[in-house]
Amino acid sequence: MAKGERGEGVEPERIFMKHPMLEYLKESGAYGDRFPTIFCPGCGIGQALNYALNAVDHIVKKDKIPRDNFCFIAGIGCSARVTSHYLGFDAIWSLHGRAPAVATGALLARPELRAIVVTGDGDAAAIGGNHFIQVCRRNLDMTVLCMNNNLYGMTGGQSSPTTSRGVPSTTAPYGNVENTFDLCEMAITAGANYVARWTTAHPHQCIQALEKGIRKKGLSFIEIMVQCPTHWKQEPAKMMKKFKSQAVRFSPEKKSEALKKDQFWVGEFMDRDRPEWLETYQKIMDRFKEKT
Amino acid sequence: MPKLYIEERYCKGCGICIEFCQAKVLKQSKKMNSRGYFPPESDEMEKCKKCGMCSLLCPDFAIVVSDE
Amino acid sequence: MSEVDETAFEPLLSEEAQKALRGPLPPGDYYLFGSDACVEGAIFAGCRYYAGYPITPASEIMEKAAQRMPQVGGRFIQMEDEISSACSLIGASWAGVKAMTATSGPGFSLMMEAVSFAVMSETPFLIVNVQRPGPGQGYITSSQEDVMQARWGHHGGGAIIALAPSSVQEMFDFTIQAFNYAEEWRVPVILLADETVAHMREKLIVPPWEKIKVINRIKPQVLGIPPEKFLPYEPYEGKVPPMPAWGDGYRVNVVGLVHHPDGNVTKYSPEMHMACVSRIYQKIEDHADEIAQVEGLYLEGCKNLVVAYGTVTRSAFEAVEELRENGKKDLGFLRLKTLWPFPDGKVRSMIGPLENVFFPEMNLGYMIHPLRESLRDRAKQFISIPFLGALHSPDLIIAKINEVIRGK
Repeated sequence: MAKGERGEGVEPERIFMKHPMLEYLKESGAYGDRFPTIFCPGCGIGQALNYALNAVDHIVKKDKIPRDNFCFIAGIGCSARVTSHYLGFDAIWSLHGRAPAVATGALLARPELRAIVVTGDGDAAAIGGNHFIQVCRRNLDMTVLCMNNNLYGMTGGQSSPTTSRGVPSTTAPYGNVENTFDLCEMAITAGANYVARWTTAHPHQCIQALEKGIRKKGLSFIEIMVQCPTHWKQEPAKMMKKFKSQAVRFSPEKKSEALKKDQFWVGEFMDRDRPEWLETYQKIMDRFKEKT
Repeated sequence: MPKLYIEERYCKGCGICIEFCQAKVLKQSKKMNSRGYFPPESDEMEKCKKCGMCSLLCPDFAIVVSDE
Repeated sequence: MSEVDETAFEPLLSEEAQKALRGPLPPGDYYLFGSDACVEGAIFAGCRYYAGYPITPASEIMEKAAQRMPQVGGRFIQMEDEISSACSLIGASWAGVKAMTATSGPGFSLMMEAVSFAVMSETPFLIVNVQRPGPGQGYITSSQEDVMQARWGHHGGGAIIALAPSSVQEMFDFTIQAFNYAEEWRVPVILLADETVAHMREKLIVPPWEKIKVINRIKPQVLGIPPEKFLPYEPYEGKVPPMPAWGDGYRVNVVGLVHHPDGNVTKYSPEMHMACVSRIYQKIEDHADEIAQVEGLYLEGCKNLVVAYGTVTRSAFEAVEELRENGKKDLGFLRLKTLWPFPDGKVRSMIGPLENVFFPEMNLGYMIHPLRESLRDRAKQFISIPFLGALHSPDLIIAKINEVIRGK
């Protein structure tokens, strides 16, 4: 059984079983180890990655979609680091906020790719705001996974467009003077087909939402509230328990209910079937196909 | 009895698995791993429900429970 | 929201479909708009993705692409800005398709981050910069003011390849060559056109298709390298790494951070950093003489030299011919077809000791700097002939040459 010895540089001898999701990850390469990951202890991004891989695993096994059709596209930030060199999939660690644009190019070039855009709240709501809105409007067939920790993690804890009013940060030392975006509301208004929000404390719901989003035609936006224990200076498990208590399950009847302070809606906010970009454009391309 | 496998090299001692274990069989080990973290351990695995929560919630893919 | 009439997209008008050209232009003579010739060249080279944003004077390239792409089995999208246009080229290229966009100065500035990323990740694509005057809004006529920006505008190190067409024929030919350079050297290529050449109509001759060379990127599967042995950033035979497409099974992680040849980004060391960045720089700059295309005329024993690139070539050549006809037989002509990498060695090997070098440019004298550096010990004087907002007339160039040669 796996307890093993500890100490500097000692690798225990034991019969070992790997975490099932490691099948989809690159633990090392020709030029050295890549694991353990760069994420801080207890970082919610690691969990969101775990959920995303579970969702992809289900789709690969149930729907018989080839694993190599999946493509992870990220911008910059802590969330984006999942694509740096860990993924056993085609992936790109591209430009801050521009992942939806990169994904647009990839999909138009090779429509059978299942593009999963990995973004954060700063990446999607600030610098990438326009690109995020536009892919929702175009309703391109991709899944946007936003890991929202309500700040800019990688650069040291600055406020982001989703940081609550009044909350201090490194760039709001006297308290945040700004109002916040609700990314899910933006996605719905812009035209996304499927919009959902969950937290790291809702693992099964996250996985189901991601599965549904990936399977669904059109733009799927899944926001996962993730804890940043480093910058919020709280224990990760405590933050997750707080998420669980602050999250209020959404249903259309409850929509007009006012939420208490610090509460937020979770659940499926939108599930519709507006026409998708690629299938519409295909009709135009079909006009010019050789008549057989 | 289910077996607990911890990948010592990846665990960062975040304690999420310990907090969320539904059978409360996990506790923090007193022995540090090679990176200076305290991974979880258990001496009550017979109570483990094999719910898979620890594995699902682990940000570092460092814990798994199995029959073998 | 009102109901959308989806029948608008139903296959209809078979008449329209029959008339459409479902592939590249067949061999023959055409009278074509410069912008259209560029798109036709791209289609010939295999480009099947266009993303762009409207900007004067490049919008016509985009409009032609919008019309032609679905006809040839490609896809077109008008993006929300130039930033996303350039970024989408990265995605399209990695998904295995040749991709391009066209813009002008203000949009070109916005694309710099994407160019920088493409240089580091070795992503091939084409940006056509139909240059217009600047800075700022500048004006909407012709210019060559972005020639330095093409090389140095992207942050950080590395190198790019840039060409400068001077005719509608070259808008076709150089676009094909630009894609060939991009695929062969795995680098973003800039086609430095200008408003004059994009908006003129001239004869285009499309030769028999087998006479036109088209180069495609080398894929690892073609070389027999299996995914488990493939190092995405290890050059093949000392040149460039083979480039798989997403979906081919190579599970390549594309990065813009300094990296090891296997893509590892966290094992940083100064040696790794130097190796990574100097390789992508030397990849182009060490092969400058091989890559560059330079044309010389009347160079044997010339005492005065006129240098030109892009559309100014037309006026400069006209000026040289007229002066030579009127007795100035010691006047030579040098034309840069590619601007970057600057072919230091090649230029030096073509040019002997001279008196004066005249360099008309539709800017305040930019390419004269690397030229002066290259021929520093060969010529006594370097005279820039700037003109902004429009093409030099041959008379303007002749007047300046006469002023310098006679008026001392």
